[in-house]
Amino acid sequence: MSVDETEPAAVGDLPGRRRLVVLVVGAVFWTWLLTRWIYHNAALDRIFSTLGLPGLIRSEVPVRDREPWLSPEPFASAADSVASFGHGSGLPEVATGWLVWLCDLLAFSIESAPALAEGAYVTVYLTVVSILLGLAIAVPLSVARVYGGTVLGRLSLAYTELIRGTPLLAQLFLLYYGLPLASVIESLGFVGSGWVPGPAAFVAIVGFTINSSAYQSEYIRSALQSVDEKQLVAARSVGLSKWAGIRHVVLPQGLRYAIPGWTNEFVYLIKYSSLAAFITVSELFGRAENIVTDTFRTTDVYVILALFYLALVLTTALAMERVAASVAIPGVGQPDGDR
Amino acid sequence: MIETASEAGTSIVGMLQADAGSLLSLGGRTAGVLQVSDWAFVATNWEYLLAGTVVTMLLTITSLSLGFLAGFPAGAIEVYSSGRLSDVVSTFGVLLRGTPIVVLVVLVHFGLPLPRFGSIPWLEVDLTAFLSATLALGLRSGAYQSQVFRGAIQSIDDGQLAAARSVGMSSRQAIRHVVFPQALRRSLPGFQNEFTIVLKDTSIAFAIGLAELLTRAENLYLQPGQGTAVLEVILTITAIYFVLTFVTNRSLEAIHRRYSIPGGTE
Amino acid sequence: MSLLHFENVSKSYGDEEVLHDVSFQLDAGDVEVIVGPSGSGKSTLLRCVNRLTEIDDGVISLEGEDIHAMDENTLRRRVGMVFQDFNLFAHRTARGNVTLGLTEVLGLSKHEADERAEQYLQQVGVADQADAYPAELSGGQKQRVGIARALAMDPDLMLFDEPTSALDPELVGEVLAVMRELADDGMTMLAVTHEMGFARSVASRLAFLEDGQIVERGPPEQLFEQPQHDRTDEFLGELTDLNR
Repeated sequence: MSVDETEPAAVGDLPGRRRLVVLVVGAVFWTWLLTRWIYHNAALDRIFSTLGLPGLIRSEVPVRDREPWLSPEPFASAADSVASFGHGSGLPEVATGWLVWLCDLLAFSIESAPALAEGAYVTVYLTVVSILLGLAIAVPLSVARVYGGTVLGRLSLAYTELIRGTPLLAQLFLLYYGLPLASVIESLGFVGSGWVPGPAAFVAIVGFTINSSAYQSEYIRSALQSVDEKQLVAARSVGLSKWAGIRHVVLPQGLRYAIPGWTNEFVYLIKYSSLAAFITVSELFGRAENIVTDTFRTTDVYVILALFYLALVLTTALAMERVAASVAIPGVGQPDGDR
Repeated sequence: MIETASEAGTSIVGMLQADAGSLLSLGGRTAGVLQVSDWAFVATNWEYLLAGTVVTMLLTITSLSLGFLAGFPAGAIEVYSSGRLSDVVSTFGVLLRGTPIVVLVVLVHFGLPLPRFGSIPWLEVDLTAFLSATLALGLRSGAYQSQVFRGAIQSIDDGQLAAARSVGMSSRQAIRHVVFPQALRRSLPGFQNEFTIVLKDTSIAFAIGLAELLTRAENLYLQPGQGTAVLEVILTITAIYFVLTFVTNRSLEAIHRRYSIPGGTE
Repeated sequence: MSLLHFENVSKSYGDEEVLHDVSFQLDAGDVEVIVGPSGSGKSTLLRCVNRLTEIDDGVISLEGEDIHAMDENTLRRRVGMVFQDFNLFAHRTARGNVTLGLTEVLGLSKHEADERAEQYLQQVGVADQADAYPAELSGGQKQRVGIARALAMDPDLMLFDEPTSALDPELVGEVLAVMRELADDGMTMLAVTHEMGFARSVASRLAFLEDGQIVERGPPEQLFEQPQHDRTDEFLGELTDLNR
């Protein structure tokens, strides 16, 4: 498949005012999220306990029993008062209905927040670990494809085509339900106890890593190919070997061309990590599903969930932009705005 | 509402609780190993899987078409109009592109008051679920296609517009006769890309119980006594997906080659 | 009555004044060549005539009518433009480039448009390339198609914005030949170009534009042999060195 299967503009440009909104909301969001994670982190709890501060971090509180930090009461009662005002004043349902729903939604999101935060933790570490591991595989994969000669090149191509030509969900199912991978991991003993995630999460990471490596190798391949051949020629004429030339001249430039692709990949993984729920991982989507079965408030939960993912995605996209700007070299791999 | 909510409860949680442990070993036979009896099981159910393949293809086509119908004007609006309309369109785009497709599909299916249709004979597909999946996949694809289209429009040299205007064409005529034809051609690679993405993402309809390929795979190996066939079934459908994406890409490329302007970069 | 009349025309981009109080007149059949250093406002001046750029001050009249009062699309039927970068419609054949304006703007039928296109493509010498796409044509052929496209609208005035600057030297001649023929046929032309040979032999008047103002204007011989300003002499001297 010669068509470059990259998703165009992951999120798109954010014009001035909206960008500001995202930045502000994002800052508040992440402050809360990080505090939640730290507050319930088992590893940190152990550290602080040995330091003589056992009460600082509460990792032993199970998710179900965690209390929200903000009280949902004001919003719930606001909803009630708007509702009764609406009935009493005789205004049509439409006028006050949406406001009641909004206040209710706010109260509900506050109640669900602790569980969602825990899910988000899993989502984020699934994403980050998979991208990094995927990158480690993708670089040699793409170098093999571009510089490896016919056999290596074809192998690399076959791997990439196969992974990119089949759905991620099917790949996850294959790994988790089709292969005995989960039980093999479980037999490793340390899995599932303490702060080590269960076997399902490991399988998810394997699945995402393989998937991500295929896509990342495509981004890197096209980035490597957009570095002018003459650069390598110049490197060799200075005396560098082919591999040294690739390492010191082609890759540093090529990897910068690949930055827009990475932003895409990051955003893609954050969104598609939701599929891990289908192999029993309790990440964000999975937690939301639990709330649905508990409360039956499907629409509300999914709306809050969508907004949560949006917060993760948009803040990531902005952060990646910063990263790109800070490593930018004039004239090398400037994003053309469309990817 | 309670009805649909409990449907939600059972269908997704039921699937989430598909006991991995019990699937892995079934009375002596094991799942992770390829066995002839399991392949035979797959073979006997070829018609069932074929129907699933058809549903997958249909869903892909309906979603892509919706995506095109929504994305093409959206992209044009983002380029050519400023102000409220353009803002609304681009905000929707960000929302659709920033939300996981799974969330979109369940949101549409359980959140929107969709009419309850029946199902189609032979294909045995729940039309309401089909509609939800089409809406979710289609609108999301539209959000991406609008970006492809927008980029294509912007990549067309201003000079051609100037030339069109200096011959006396109005802005509208110039856009219609000079910009759009070329932008459409330049959007083909992006569109081809979308095809594969949507095709693979139809598997997401699993979450709302639509009887497409992946769901049917699960239905097969969840049948009592067929737990060991998991690997064979999933390998089969994975192969089907691969063949579908491969064939589609090759055909689209061939079409692209046939209709491209000689010598041009379109 | 003059064909084209510039009266005290000024144009600024932000703080930068690109055209300053420019006034001149063209009669029917005149061939006026404008020269000047880059950034002097030559292209802007041309683009003001067909309102691709709008002026800030002054009046431009076409056959006595203020062009600003006209519908801009109607104006552009009467004024043809040829671009430095050709700007051919990449998705249409040479013939298609010419017929687009004929069918969409003048409302001709496909048959009539095709016939007319043939005629003009013939006139500029690219009739045998009628079915070729722009990417398949040489620079000189592209520009001649561009000229045919503008001519086919039957304009009263033709504008040329550095028509040969983007061409390889050996292709310049064929385009200049077409322009020369047009001039001989009596077309009123306003051209920005550095081709001094063309200016000396074809132009009825030469205008030297610098910093948005017409420094000197008159028959080419006059500016070459007895320029009234040192700057004119300097600039034309540099130009003829280039052309040599």
